[in-house]
Amino acid sequence: MRILVIEDETKVGCFIRRALEEESYAVDLCEDGAKGLEMALHTNYDLLIVDLMLPSLSGLDILKGVRQAKIQTPILILTAQSQVDQRVKGLDAGADDYLTKPFAIDELLARIRALLRRGSTESPGVLQIDDLALNPATREVTRGSQRIDLTLKEYALLEYLMRHTGRVLTRPMISEHVWNQDFDTFTNVIDVYVNYLRNKIDRGHSKKLIHTIRGSGYMLKVD
Amino acid sequence: MPLRVRLTLWYGTALALILIIFSTILYLVTARSLRDAVDESLEETAAAAVRSLEERGFLPLIDEDELMSQFPELARIDKFFQIFSPSGTITIRSPNVKQQEMPLSRQALEVAYSGRSLLEFAKYPKEPALRLISVPIIYRGNLLYIIQVGTSMDSVEETLNRLLLVLLVSMPIALAVSLAGGWFMAGRALRPVDTITLAAQRIAGGDLTQRLTVPASADEIGRLTNTFNAMIDRLETSFRQIRQFSSDASHELRTPLTVMKGETELALRRPRETDDYKVVLESNLEEIDRMTRIVDELLFLSRADMGEVKMERLPVPLDTLIEDLHRQASLLGQERNIQVVLRATTPAVVLGDELRLRELFLNLLDNAVKYSRPSGAVDIALMIDQTHARVSVTDHGIGIAQEDQTRIFDRFYRTDEARAHTKKGTGLGLAICAWIAESHRGRIEVQSKVGEGSTFTVMLPLAPAPAAAKRPPISSSPSSHRER
Repeated sequence: MRILVIEDETKVGCFIRRALEEESYAVDLCEDGAKGLEMALHTNYDLLIVDLMLPSLSGLDILKGVRQAKIQTPILILTAQSQVDQRVKGLDAGADDYLTKPFAIDELLARIRALLRRGSTESPGVLQIDDLALNPATREVTRGSQRIDLTLKEYALLEYLMRHTGRVLTRPMISEHVWNQDFDTFTNVIDVYVNYLRNKIDRGHSKKLIHTIRGSGYMLKVD
Repeated sequence: MPLRVRLTLWYGTALALILIIFSTILYLVTARSLRDAVDESLEETAAAAVRSLEERGFLPLIDEDELMSQFPELARIDKFFQIFSPSGTITIRSPNVKQQEMPLSRQALEVAYSGRSLLEFAKYPKEPALRLISVPIIYRGNLLYIIQVGTSMDSVEETLNRLLLVLLVSMPIALAVSLAGGWFMAGRALRPVDTITLAAQRIAGGDLTQRLTVPASADEIGRLTNTFNAMIDRLETSFRQIRQFSSDASHELRTPLTVMKGETELALRRPRETDDYKVVLESNLEEIDRMTRIVDELLFLSRADMGEVKMERLPVPLDTLIEDLHRQASLLGQERNIQVVLRATTPAVVLGDELRLRELFLNLLDNAVKYSRPSGAVDIALMIDQTHARVSVTDHGIGIAQEDQTRIFDRFYRTDEARAHTKKGTGLGLAICAWIAESHRGRIEVQSKVGEGSTFTVMLPLAPAPAAAKRPPISSSPSSHRER
């Protein structure tokens, strides 16, 4: 899951990025409003976190710009103002949720999970395919009764695959949603990570879940 | 009681009084003139009768027919005629009094003997009120006859009664009609007041964007409306400023709290290296310092607003102060290789608080260094004119956009460029500078062009001559004498 954070307070932006990265999200951070809108319009993010008070372009304008471009990505707004009208304006301009600064990191993460869940209505809290289960809240992955330990990137990759079960996911799609903008798309890192995942999930099981679609990419499905 | 009711009642009462007085006078004058006319006609008739008798040499009258032929005016139906002997018995009378005995009154007889006429009212049973005139005819000192002419007051009474009826009926109607008119007019005149009241209630409910529609006429209501709108304008402005201030203040205070809470929570989520904790603690310390500075400056400003900041008024030699600050600013600039140059100085003494003035200029110099490009220059100049000392601090940094120049002295106002340029500012420094300048009866101005730099000029009134005379001798150089 790739998230764009638009926040002009460097320190706030940095700890949000760090917290999200520790939860295996891919994060891009932008300190300028106009540039942030540009990024939101040109990259397929899974979630936007937008501060309302920004230089060059306000958070409200970003919201309007994104929604005008018919981009339905969930947006979480951050505001340092406790006044109701700011939050109302934000929600009316197309935000899905808000947090008032200062906020608790756990709450931020919980709201992000909730917003990502909302994207596909049929998916409950726990993602499940066959006997493979992934719980985004606890980041616990199990196959059958067996617990599987994953690294951050492996987890992020698996979560992305599981949220799009039964669909072919191309390498550019995977890189766009699992890695951030610093990722070099011309390496075989994705293939390496898919192999790691195969080793941990499919090895020793007769039923394989991760499939290579030759010439296009990967798919998670039950045979 | 509502104003409309009160106005109508006042109006009604005044009108009722006028109507009553008018009607009473009308009635009395009419009654009087009608009676006078009756009396006059009686007197004329009597006088004519007397004249006729005189012409006949006061011979006794024989009968009615003779009488009537003698006095054709007596044929008039509305008057009757009686002649009494001096003893008071009727000797002759006109045909229209035949039915009834109408003896001469005692008073008339008495008056007749004294030789005067008498006008009187008489009332006989089954008869309307009568007006009688009794005229004695005296010949050579002897009372010969008493001629009495009378007429009925019927028509007069009837006229008066009709008048009274008309007045009694028309007065309440007129009063009612004009009360209704008054009620309507008062309502009409007061309707704009109701409109104002309604608008005022909405505004009191918190909607300061409401304005009253100004009537086309420049009357009292028009003026009231304009005054009211002007008042709401000012209220709205100051409310907006307060809201802006509290939202800015909340933003400035919440940001360090967000950083501290976020970084600390993040650090505590899992075990970390010692260095990681150290980074968080150092960062938090920075934020604590930032908050402390904001709180200090806010407290200073709010105490200044309450008039609780004590301000000395002692002679301060500005040139010495500026030279000292020049040295301090040069140290500030060294770090980023910024030259601080004292372009001009001249002896100048102002009355004021040296510590506050130092704070003011240091703040400006600190800003100038902060917003300069590396290896840039900051110029200081102290000049005087007849009344004021002018201290200007010029940088060649990022500059301030025209639309921001009026607002940079507002509390917590920071331009986007300033925010991006330095994260450490509180947004209160220039507000404090402006306050210090103003509390020295001076002012602070800014000239700036984006990309070229800014000049902040502080103007302070010079101390009057005796204070200037107390200057230390070292700074009164010959050049300063020439300048003065």
